[in-house]
Amino acid sequence: MEPFIYCENVTYTYPEAHAPALADVTLEIERGEFVLFMGPSGSGKSTMLRCFNGLVPHFTGGAIQGHVRVAGADPLRAGPQELSRIVGFVFQDPEAQFVMDRVEDEIAFGLENAAVPPEEMRHRVEALLAQMGLSALRDRPLETLSGGERQRVAIAAALVLRPQVLALDEPTSQLDPHSAQEVLQAVVRLNREDGLTVLLAEHRLERILPYVDRIVYLPGPGRPVVSGPPCDVLRFVDIELTPPLVTLGKALGWEPLPLTLAEGRRFARRVIPSPLPRHASRPPSRRTPPVLWVEDLSVSYRETPVLRAASLSVGSGELVALMGRNGAGKTTLLRAIVGLLPPHARQGRIWLNGERLDDWHTAEICRRVGYLPQEPDALLFADTVADELWVTLRNHGLASNPPISPPELLDRLGLRVQATAYPRDLSIGQRQRVALGAVTVTRPRLLLLDEPTRGLDYPAKRALGHLLRAWQREGSGVLLVTHDVELVAQIADRVVLLEGGRVLADGPPDAVLTSADIGPFAPQVAQVFPGSGWLTAEDVLRGVEKGK
Amino acid sequence: MRDPRAWATWVLTALVVASSTRNPLYVVLVLLSTMVVGGSCASDANQGRQAVIAPVRFAAVALPFAAVFNAATAHIGEVVFFRLPSHWPLIGGPWTGEAMLFGVVNGLVLTTIYSAFSAFNRAISVRDLIRLTPQAFHEAGVVLCVALTFVPQMTRNLRRIREAQAVRGHRVRGWRDWLPIVVPLLVGSMEQALSLAEAMVARGYGAVSERRQSIRTQVTLVIGLVTLLIGWSAYSLRAASPTWRWLAVVSLAVGGGVIAGVVIALGQEASSTVYRPRPWIMADTMGMVGCVAVWGVVLLGRGALYYTPYPHLSWPSFHPLVGVGLLGLLMPAILVGGARGV
Repeated sequence: MEPFIYCENVTYTYPEAHAPALADVTLEIERGEFVLFMGPSGSGKSTMLRCFNGLVPHFTGGAIQGHVRVAGADPLRAGPQELSRIVGFVFQDPEAQFVMDRVEDEIAFGLENAAVPPEEMRHRVEALLAQMGLSALRDRPLETLSGGERQRVAIAAALVLRPQVLALDEPTSQLDPHSAQEVLQAVVRLNREDGLTVLLAEHRLERILPYVDRIVYLPGPGRPVVSGPPCDVLRFVDIELTPPLVTLGKALGWEPLPLTLAEGRRFARRVIPSPLPRHASRPPSRRTPPVLWVEDLSVSYRETPVLRAASLSVGSGELVALMGRNGAGKTTLLRAIVGLLPPHARQGRIWLNGERLDDWHTAEICRRVGYLPQEPDALLFADTVADELWVTLRNHGLASNPPISPPELLDRLGLRVQATAYPRDLSIGQRQRVALGAVTVTRPRLLLLDEPTRGLDYPAKRALGHLLRAWQREGSGVLLVTHDVELVAQIADRVVLLEGGRVLADGPPDAVLTSADIGPFAPQVAQVFPGSGWLTAEDVLRGVEKGK
Repeated sequence: MRDPRAWATWVLTALVVASSTRNPLYVVLVLLSTMVVGGSCASDANQGRQAVIAPVRFAAVALPFAAVFNAATAHIGEVVFFRLPSHWPLIGGPWTGEAMLFGVVNGLVLTTIYSAFSAFNRAISVRDLIRLTPQAFHEAGVVLCVALTFVPQMTRNLRRIREAQAVRGHRVRGWRDWLPIVVPLLVGSMEQALSLAEAMVARGYGAVSERRQSIRTQVTLVIGLVTLLIGWSAYSLRAASPTWRWLAVVSLAVGGGVIAGVVIALGQEASSTVYRPRPWIMADTMGMVGCVAVWGVVLLGRGALYYTPYPHLSWPSFHPLVGVGLLGLLMPAILVGGARGV
């Protein structure tokens, strides 16, 4: 019998590309499987998914060889319009895939095009609203929904033509952990309860591995694709692509590899009888005056308070992580510091190196503070990467005497080769670093970063971590807004937790990240070794080494 | 009342009646009716206040402006306030009370039009209007929808980009300084448009557009247009001769009929349906009855509606029957369940 989905010797090259994006891929997928497509950025995960519904090559152009079959149909021949009845597709950015502006209309769009009779349409939309937990939101304008709610609408819209397969291209990469969890749970339910075949491309593996039936690992150019049960495939996967628990399991030779926290805890009890407390690996914060000092900052938007008397400080050479749920006021705090809020909206005092900032112009503040906003693309407009740095210098009138020479900075950012490239052609990780270069070329003593790891894969995250550490060693203070607990566990000196505009906790990472306030999103290692003070896989390996 | 067709009729009626009388009493009556209807469409108290405040604010600007403008340009009447040397172009001559009053009435008419449109806007979303497009133009409707969704996204992006450039020391001084804002906005919008196109294709959109229009439809459409054109030229050039006039009317009717037929046929061929088509309800019918009353006044009572302050001031007349007829515009506000319907 023919497999439900199969690819046979598929080779695909994008138009005007030199090397193929997919080279000789062969794989089979059974009906009802939950399949995870993983691999570094640019390894062809998205391209692979688009082969299953015919967007490749019908929408993208380019040359394709080989055979693809999905539920008896040939996407390469039939094209995406016809395949829309077999494969529902959900994209990365929830904002860029909506046609209508209301929840219900958006879901019905596919049915209107397919000329489904109104009576039938109502039934289907009603059923989907209930299934995806959207009934209460049916009349809401899409722009008022949270990221997680939007992705659930996108899933409902993709399912409305009753496809047998649901393909999702990094659906949670733009979401915070709570929303990501909400979306992934919905997908798991569709797979378990309704028997939908799920094809999911993802970076964030921690929470999804327990549900996966099969992993397709795309290791990148020149290396063959591996497909099979999770434990078998994870053995082949580069250690830097796996979540901490799997990394640990591989390093300590745990068999079979633990995928869930429960499995991890079993090994943790057996292998290490008495975990050692984490030793203080970071220098205690020095008693020098802080680079940044925020005192009793309150901010209101249209009479709604966003920040309520929040206070925090960042010392020189200190990396402080600012965490909290969406809407807790993290971004507002950063915007207030660099003077992007109207003066009447805020109360409180802000000092930078001992100077009051209150009535400074944004441009003046930003000569001394590097602020990286959430969307790096909003910054980039110049013709080359090097130009982006020069533009900032010219804006500040520093072009004749730059505090750090642009080539040197590009070197440190690992962008020397790309200096003459067009910034927008680069990968998301590289664009992020170009934007970082554009705001740090004034050599600021303080860096403010707003979710810099959004959409980055593990290697890109690690590169960013190294960069921040280097800056920190030179005495810059860093205030990092992030949802990424694993990153915080690795690099932060101190964690400040915001909740409803108030500072809920302020202390060392091992204390804050393992407290009840952080909820179910503590680092994996802290959850597997509760009470040990360990946060990262490195902590454990060092501890085990010492214990021997 | 909730059907977009009913609302379109209502706003058209209000416009026609407002522009076919200069009797200030009737104009004020119509203005008040539109304000009441606008208030009844409000979803909260604030919007309800706006339905009254916004037209009043508009009037505060429109009335003095229209009065002065008319007095400055129309120098007719007996109540003379003052005279400017008559060799001054345009504004020279007597400035009269009659001209000023006529200007005020014009301002009231403008305010009424404004108020009627705000009520209409509050009752019907643009998307409901797009739903009115005939089936044959389904795709044009979708394109409009997408454009409407895109505009707020662009404004959000614009704000984001301005901030991102501000934090790298950028200030807008000359036109060249707009480059760092315009380039990311355009490139970003193009990227977004591309991913939206991809998402739409993946959801089965565009399968319809590959249908080729048959040569027969195209020929029929051309014949219809040509007939219509002949009729129209005959009517405008030779309307004096009865034979020609008849010919013109016949060919106008035939041409129009053919085109309507083609559009309907294309609509039936088009394979798309409408989600939740709103059924025509009793309230819509009642609203239409109100409009019919107003049309009755406009068509039959032209003489009663007529008023002019020229050549000398007189009190405008008020006929109770006309007043009652005009109140038909209030129907959407009176109907049970408010103007929004259930």
